[in-house]
Amino acid sequence: MDPAASRPAVVIDNGTGYTKMGFAGNVEPCFIVPTVVAVNESFQNQSRSSSKSSNWLAQHSAGVMADLDFYIGEDAHARSRSSSIYNLTYPIKHGQVDNWDAMERFWQHCIFNYLRCDPEDHYFLLTESPLTAPESREYTGEIMFETFNVPGLYIAVQPVLALAAGYTTSKCEMTGVVVDVGDGATHVVPVADGYVIGSSIKSIPISGKDVTLFIQQLMRERGEHVPPEDSFEVARKVKETYCYTCSDIVKEYNKHDKEPAKYIKQFKGVKPKTGAPYTCDIGYERFLGPEVFFNPEIYSSDFTSPLPVVIDKCIQSAPIDTRRALYKNIVLSGGSTMFKDFHRRLQRDLKKIVDARVLASDARLGGEVKAQPVEVNVVSHPIQKFAVWFGGSVLGSTPEFFEACHTKAEYDEYGASICRTNPVFKGMY
Amino acid sequence: MILLQSHSRFLLQTLLNRLRDIEKGVELDYHWVEFDDIRYHVQVSMKNPHLVLLSLSLPTPPPETDFPGGLPSGAVEAVKVAYAGVVQILDPPRDGFNLTLKLNFSKFPPNEDRRQALLVKIASVREIVLGAPLRALLKHLATKTISSDMDQLVALVHRPNESFFVIPRVDKVIVVFPMRFKDSIDTVLATSFLQEFVQARRTAGLNNAPPCLWSSSPPLELNKAPVEALSANAGFVSFVIFPRHVEGRKLDRTVSSLSTFHAYVSYHVKCSEGFMHTRMRRRVESLIEALDRAKPDVAESKNLANNRSFKRLSLKEAHANYHS
Repeated sequence: MDPAASRPAVVIDNGTGYTKMGFAGNVEPCFIVPTVVAVNESFQNQSRSSSKSSNWLAQHSAGVMADLDFYIGEDAHARSRSSSIYNLTYPIKHGQVDNWDAMERFWQHCIFNYLRCDPEDHYFLLTESPLTAPESREYTGEIMFETFNVPGLYIAVQPVLALAAGYTTSKCEMTGVVVDVGDGATHVVPVADGYVIGSSIKSIPISGKDVTLFIQQLMRERGEHVPPEDSFEVARKVKETYCYTCSDIVKEYNKHDKEPAKYIKQFKGVKPKTGAPYTCDIGYERFLGPEVFFNPEIYSSDFTSPLPVVIDKCIQSAPIDTRRALYKNIVLSGGSTMFKDFHRRLQRDLKKIVDARVLASDARLGGEVKAQPVEVNVVSHPIQKFAVWFGGSVLGSTPEFFEACHTKAEYDEYGASICRTNPVFKGMY
Repeated sequence: MILLQSHSRFLLQTLLNRLRDIEKGVELDYHWVEFDDIRYHVQVSMKNPHLVLLSLSLPTPPPETDFPGGLPSGAVEAVKVAYAGVVQILDPPRDGFNLTLKLNFSKFPPNEDRRQALLVKIASVREIVLGAPLRALLKHLATKTISSDMDQLVALVHRPNESFFVIPRVDKVIVVFPMRFKDSIDTVLATSFLQEFVQARRTAGLNNAPPCLWSSSPPLELNKAPVEALSANAGFVSFVIFPRHVEGRKLDRTVSSLSTFHAYVSYHVKCSEGFMHTRMRRRVESLIEALDRAKPDVAESKNLANNRSFKRLSLKEAHANYHS
């Protein structure tokens, strides 16, 4: 037997905002770090401009340094703040890998600096969004097999993993709709018996980052004294700590106006340049931020379908025999579904839409045939933030996982094309 | 990052988090594996939130190494010295592990800096345990003690079923690493990396660094070593450590650099592969750009909308396909 299969697989879930990494079989990822790389560009420009110079040694060592001189995650933020020679690069945009050089470096640090493991010793489980192009899967395979020499690789689809995260609890339900609201992309993905219904996937151009931008905009318009270079970070922190979902926007305004002391929070920060402390108030944006998903018109005029409507449309476009099961199991995943009471609001709004439709059909049929009430159930669990990672951890610790992997031998025989297709898309739909 | 850190990042983070919210009393149970097949297991139970069980499993030792009781010689003493007061060694260790330590948080020093230093030291437990015999030998060199095993070849484990060799002399210690790599490309890269490494030692700024040598055949010092330990596809690297390299605080750094030498080389081999791929990608991009420029832009662009990536079948053809 392959000795690598006796060691736990490495599970890395690269999201737009945060990367979750760890070893299969654990309940939590080892590290959750921002997906960002700080690269020192100064060497590269230098070596290019002075390429004619005879000092090859300096150029040589500059080249050697340049490919090792970078930081990822929190370190990257710290470095770029303290010195101007590091530029921040975000390798993933809207859920898709945008910069492969940065991505390769990011993985390199994940493996050697954070997890500190030898990539030749472990099987790897990476994730991708359901709309990833086959080419990008090939690229991933190429980097993993050529650069890191991994013995085996499995590229899993995020929503399927998010469903699998609930797999260990009493029921083994692999049918459901996954509402994945990440930092860079929002997808509504129906899954039937573990197979993705590819034609019914719906995406929304509103994601966690838009909530942050909206909060930033609200705070700026009210004239809070936040240093402009820090305002995005402050808005992100406000979103992560204070935001919640309200049941009714008008009532919520009244509540805030009646008891401002109870609802208005204070945020304390330190100016990055001068080091002087400052405070700012946080008011309506606490509930207006998450409201973007339910009333998108308050944020943008281009896109106006609320999330519950999109979910309903998605289920209505799925095969008719799966719809009831899909309504019954709507699973939330991704950091931006962590707002308090998000699932309650979603369930209530969705139920309203479904009930209205059932009533309408009853009225049309004139009471001759009564439709059975449709059960709508939005599932929320505490590990929502890294549900995808946890699903990967569960999957990676099953013995079948090692058989489903693409192995190094297969790669050497057939090339990167083995990673092109994913079996979960080859269902009956 | 040029050198690998000597402590396990995750272990340090876990312990820090644990110490911070010790009152919450959450259960912890983590397993993870580091390079050279070192496995960790951390466990905290609800009942005793102050006690942390840390288990460590070491790589399988090759037959030529001295490995009494599943631990390198002198490891137990080294652990006792390093973590006096806060750590208790459990005997027997957890099933499947070589060493189990019981950390007692209530006995940690209240001083913030000293506590941090102690945590870092606990997180570098692999170095304390695996590097114990090497550290003892280098300490003899530093204090100029003449021990009984002078000029004897000592084999120390550093990877599963692989060992490196140490030859203690009165005035120096010679450390020889047989370098092995699984992949053929890695072997080639490692060979040239090591030759370059030896070359770099000769530059003016590094006069005080330990002299190092690379050879493709086993050096003469290893003529007493068992034959099967001498097959190395990327050659042999030897370092000569003088007393000035192990004075005072330098000892720790020397031990940690030497005990992670193989991981260091393999990390840099991977980095250079990554760098080469970056260069290759850039090259392909520039070639594609050149190709795109060479394309004659005739009325092609108008056709784009009608270009289909699939073949449209007529109803008849579709039926024929369906029945076949």
